[in-house]
Amino acid sequence: MASPLEQYVNTVRSQTTNGSFRELVEYLSKTNDILQKNSQHLDNVLETLDFQQHSLGVLYLLCAKFTYVTPAGQDNRFTQAQEFILNCNGEQIRLVPDVFADLCHLITKYLLEIKQPMRGINLMRKAIFKLRLFDSQLTSIHADLCQLCLLAKCFKPALEILDVDITGICQEITSSHNGSQFDAKYFLLYFYYGGMIYLALKNLDRALYFFEVAITTPAHAVSHVMLEAYKKYIIVSLLLHGKEQPIPKYASHVVNRFIKPLSQPYSTLASAFELNNTSELNNILTKHTDIFVRDHNLGLVKQVSSVLYKKNIQRLTKTFLTLSLSDVASRVGLQGPSDAEKYILHMIEEKQIYATINQKDGMVIFLDEPDKHCGPEVLKELEKELCLCMELDKQILTMDCDIQVNPQYVRKSTGTQDDEQPTKSTYAM
Amino acid sequence: MVSIDLTYLMGELEKQELEAPNGVASPQAYEQLLAIYLYKNDLCNAKYLWKRIPSQIKESNPELGHIWSVGQYMWKKDYPSIYNALNSVTWTETVADIMKKVQESVRDRAIQLISQAYSSITLEAVCAMTGLPPDSCCKTCIDRQWQIESDSKIVHPVLSDAQSIGQTSSEDQLYKLTDFVSFLEN
Amino acid sequence: MPLLLSNTMAQNAIEPMQVDAPPEDNDNNEEETYIVENPSLDLEVYANSFTGLAKLYRLSFIVDHCPSMRLEALKMAISYVMTTYNVNLYQILHQKLAELTSSMCVPDVAVTSTSQDIPVIDNMWMETRSKKAALKLEKLDNDLKNYKANSIKESIRRGHDDLGDHYLDCGDLSNALKCYSRARDYCTSGKHVVNMCLNVIKVSVYLQNWSHVLSYVSKAESTPDFNEAQTQTKELYQVTITKLKCAAGLAELATGKYKSAAKHFLQANLDHCDFPELLCPNNVAMYGGLCALATFDRHELQKNVIFSSSFKLFLELEPQLRDIIFKFYESKYASCLKSLDEIKDNLLLDIYIAPHINNLYTQIRNRALIQYFSPYLSADMHKMAVAFNRSVSALEDELMQLILDGQIQARIDSHNKILFAKDIDLRSRTFERSLAMGKRYQRRTRMLILRASVLKNKIHVKSPQRETTGQSGETAVAPGTSSVLLARN
Repeated sequence: MASPLEQYVNTVRSQTTNGSFRELVEYLSKTNDILQKNSQHLDNVLETLDFQQHSLGVLYLLCAKFTYVTPAGQDNRFTQAQEFILNCNGEQIRLVPDVFADLCHLITKYLLEIKQPMRGINLMRKAIFKLRLFDSQLTSIHADLCQLCLLAKCFKPALEILDVDITGICQEITSSHNGSQFDAKYFLLYFYYGGMIYLALKNLDRALYFFEVAITTPAHAVSHVMLEAYKKYIIVSLLLHGKEQPIPKYASHVVNRFIKPLSQPYSTLASAFELNNTSELNNILTKHTDIFVRDHNLGLVKQVSSVLYKKNIQRLTKTFLTLSLSDVASRVGLQGPSDAEKYILHMIEEKQIYATINQKDGMVIFLDEPDKHCGPEVLKELEKELCLCMELDKQILTMDCDIQVNPQYVRKSTGTQDDEQPTKSTYAM
Repeated sequence: MVSIDLTYLMGELEKQELEAPNGVASPQAYEQLLAIYLYKNDLCNAKYLWKRIPSQIKESNPELGHIWSVGQYMWKKDYPSIYNALNSVTWTETVADIMKKVQESVRDRAIQLISQAYSSITLEAVCAMTGLPPDSCCKTCIDRQWQIESDSKIVHPVLSDAQSIGQTSSEDQLYKLTDFVSFLEN
Repeated sequence: MPLLLSNTMAQNAIEPMQVDAPPEDNDNNEEETYIVENPSLDLEVYANSFTGLAKLYRLSFIVDHCPSMRLEALKMAISYVMTTYNVNLYQILHQKLAELTSSMCVPDVAVTSTSQDIPVIDNMWMETRSKKAALKLEKLDNDLKNYKANSIKESIRRGHDDLGDHYLDCGDLSNALKCYSRARDYCTSGKHVVNMCLNVIKVSVYLQNWSHVLSYVSKAESTPDFNEAQTQTKELYQVTITKLKCAAGLAELATGKYKSAAKHFLQANLDHCDFPELLCPNNVAMYGGLCALATFDRHELQKNVIFSSSFKLFLELEPQLRDIIFKFYESKYASCLKSLDEIKDNLLLDIYIAPHINNLYTQIRNRALIQYFSPYLSADMHKMAVAFNRSVSALEDELMQLILDGQIQARIDSHNKILFAKDIDLRSRTFERSLAMGKRYQRRTRMLILRASVLKNKIHVKSPQRETTGQSGETAVAPGTSSVLLARN
């Protein structure tokens, strides 16, 4: 074993026993060159360290191994990484969240290369549990998990993570590279992938929320992720609300200035949809097929065109009490009464309309929503919703409180003259 | 009871798949999981499960394809074909029970839908949607107190009010009410 | 430049080079090339109601849209244009005339008989006229220079006005506008300011620059001396106020704001309605009456139109319109709508209201439908169709649109053709609304909390950094995406 590596092992051991982890991190962050030069011996070093006890040392070794080693023959990297993530010491790795996250990114990349994304799903979940401090904290590993789930076409494991609303972000200080605290890339990717997962599972409401977060991320430049998210945002808002939802005002001007013009076909699609114009919509569909195919959005766009029929039927329910099936067909531009019956049947099943079909006379009777909002279920639902709102309100109040007692805020809001007596001004608040 | 068992089984199978070496589970696990998704009418997850099953496994286990073809017809809401696909194959032991339940659940939903969506419907259509032969179909209708016009074979479904009454204790409600009021007051 | 201006009128409302015009002016002008077949207009009387460019523009509009009156209108326009210095317009009118005569395949006899009264293009006249115009321009220009040298404010103001008048006479609108506006700096009394405003308004109307019109109307109305002066020269005050109201009404009409247009026109006073450069009292009656009909509710109509002593006088000028309004008020919709159709042809030949006729008529119809149904719980659509001169299915479509727009709270029983008023369950709706509101609150608050931490962590997309080039930019392009974009069902 070469001597620099011996020193590595010794330092890791002694510092760990002393409990001086900060110094250890300091030391480890400078070992990159040593590890690269001696990359063929890394396995030997790993054997001498304990995953649980010397988590920091192992973490840096594994990162180096994923970065510099091209394995010949047996590749034990994944098993090692797996064992490490399952057994490592959470407190230690939380000292260097960026390196830990990097390791996860490397594992993800590796799994993508060998085309076995399925294997990483559980591992990334465990990794997230290790790294985050509370359930609603976002780490950059979240994006990895979503990516793996998407590629494996296995979404259920991601939902457990996605369903929790993010309220905090893990500060992954990557001072060595760009000095950014949390890379916007992973933030965007998490919300983009997450939106896609919800979309695949037909949870449109959530999907729209995720895409909206993606497109309102502060930005000084056009991100491809944002652009794709914007396209999907338009389509999902058509599917869900029947019209293009406005972009929130606080979205970056980049969205309006650059991203909108880049998504021209989608805007024309939206305007045809909003005019309830079936034939125009189909024209646009054929005209821009190439683009929709290129963007991998053709399937979604086709859903839009079938939803338009449904939307038109919904409009009919607002205006008519009874209508013959053939009238329905001709008014919404469907082929014939049997098609109309099929659509109406689907819509009744999905509770999008309330109607009864009379096959004897070929008529439909449109009803008002039968739910009269009485009974214990309604009360229960109200209670549930109220609780949610109250919970959120509490959260906001806590945040407000935090700001009120933040010394920086206090100094700013009370003016500069009170600088010398910060304590007093705090009481004044 | 049954559904609890299947839910448990579903969780186990999902775990198996995630923990499988190389990320590929056994064909039996795939078959059962796919069937359970169909039973739960969770077509999205069924579809993506079908998509992620490696093609070698699909080829060596034609039954998987049979199960999925049921799913496809469910996706299209093509009732006659669903029953056809369900009954044209003899299912192996792995999934036979589950597939039987799939059929039951599809039929139950169809009957529920008919009672919701139709004020009058031809007997033929009821047969098609429930996959029952006319005479047993008649019986089902009569059991539910649906009227059948004997000459024109028109069925008049009756909407059954299945109201679940989940009563909560008044003490609990009072407690919550106090909560709300104190929230609003502050 | 004059050429540009003549284009304005030739194409009626659309003037491609006119940058100032608000774009909504053009919205209704898509059907440029409609033809009116059977107007009952007395061209002579009509033309005599106007002077100046108003007369020429209105005649040209008729030329463009009514074949049966084309020749007569052209002749009138040409003979009138010869009293002005507008050589360019003269040329254009003759061009049109030439097109018309060549396209008329009339037999020889007819040609000879009519050829006498078809004016021939007079190049001599054009030449001398241009010269005279130039001479007059030079003289006025010199005068103005002199006044300026002597710096007599009043004379300079008049000099500008005269120059503006002359440009207007030549059809050079933009120069006319400039001159009239320049007079502003030399106004010494409120009266002058108002006068300047009127001049600018006039030219702006010709230019169809409606926002300009409105801003100068308000400028004139807020001139301090203007309101005080009313005691002395009540007559003049009345005339001016009517002019301003008419111009404002016209601008509102042209921009599709029918309700405020109606309000402006209703304030006009017949005895003092003297504004032949823009419109005649009949116009005021028509514009005001139709706009009011389309936008006023029953009570407003009664109070502001039917019982208005001043507007009553205007309505006397247009008895047909008066009948229409009364029938509408008496809920005799069928005959009301029928009469409306009868006057439609004439209205389509009116340069200012023609683009809005379809809009106004639809609004009037809708208002009638809403009013008809308002007292009922259910209405037989067969009877309703009779009352509105419509087939039942056409009526069904109309009603459907109104219901979708939320203007009628009702539902159609298409099977029995009955319109039922919709009873709204307020309790249910309140539940729905509050639940929806709660959901919205939750969504927005969640987004807010997330955003707060995004900002706290200074997450933002930066431009790709130079030093990391070689690979795709770090933040701007996420290479992972393309590999993951799944094709959807």
